[in-house]
Amino acid sequence: MAPEVDRLATPDEGRSGGPFNGAALAALLAAGIGALSVGLFVILNEAAAYAAPSLYGPAGGVSGRTTFATGVWLLSWWFLHRAWRGRQLKARGVYLATAAMILLGLLLTFPPLWGIL
Amino acid sequence: MLFSSRSLLTMLHGLLFGGGALLFLALALFALRLLASGVGGQASARQLRSLSLLLIAAVVLLWLGTLGGTYLVFPPYRATPPEGLADLGMYPRSLLLSDPETEWLHGFAMETKEHVPWIASMLATAAAFVSVRYRQRLIADPEIRGLLNALTAVCLVLVAYVALLGTFVNKVAPLD
Repeated sequence: MAPEVDRLATPDEGRSGGPFNGAALAALLAAGIGALSVGLFVILNEAAAYAAPSLYGPAGGVSGRTTFATGVWLLSWWFLHRAWRGRQLKARGVYLATAAMILLGLLLTFPPLWGIL
Repeated sequence: MLFSSRSLLTMLHGLLFGGGALLFLALALFALRLLASGVGGQASARQLRSLSLLLIAAVVLLWLGTLGGTYLVFPPYRATPPEGLADLGMYPRSLLLSDPETEWLHGFAMETKEHVPWIASMLATAAAFVSVRYRQRLIADPEIRGLLNALTAVCLVLVAYVALLGTFVNKVAPLD
């Protein structure tokens, strides 16, 4: 009879990422950078400072803003992953930076703020 | 026909993709809390695999909802009506903007819906990545568990917020 619990996980059983936290923190920070990028492309557009070109006419400018932000997110993830995947990093700074970027990104996409500009 | 193709598209976007993502995110968060409260903070490989699958399912649905929303649902929503058209029922954005009482549903709700789902999708992708790459120590490692917990919780709140706004818009100006 197959055991219900086939294997127990322990903290040092890392998979391809090994025991290092670098890959996790790279994914986290890149997501924060992506969130901030969305916010920045939106606020630049609303302030008439820079309008990302529309990549799909029927959808309008949002197609350019979000595609560019997605590009920034994926590129930053790629760079960070390559740099951090084999490293054990102090997480606190990355957590704080990511939280700040997510909050700022969300704030910049908050329509009532655009009226203040 | 009972439902138009535009209406079916909206239902697919909101109910199946958005609602499904919300469900899987809530399940993943619940599973994460449940497994973490287990004896010794340990979980079986099967339980950890299921948790990863929940997050992967949420990410797939979330990206389908986000991309479908931007490229399939949004274009007919923002279409410009012909000059002088009295009945704006087929042009949701113009319909919302034509009444000061519903103007906010475009200016606030829809504008938010255009961007926040992209942020939620990026965060959910990071959560799913962590859950797969660090699967064996998701529960036992408090740092990884905390990170996954936070990412999933933030995604859940963002998706719920956007879904609520979508419900408001669809209630007043449905894409029929």
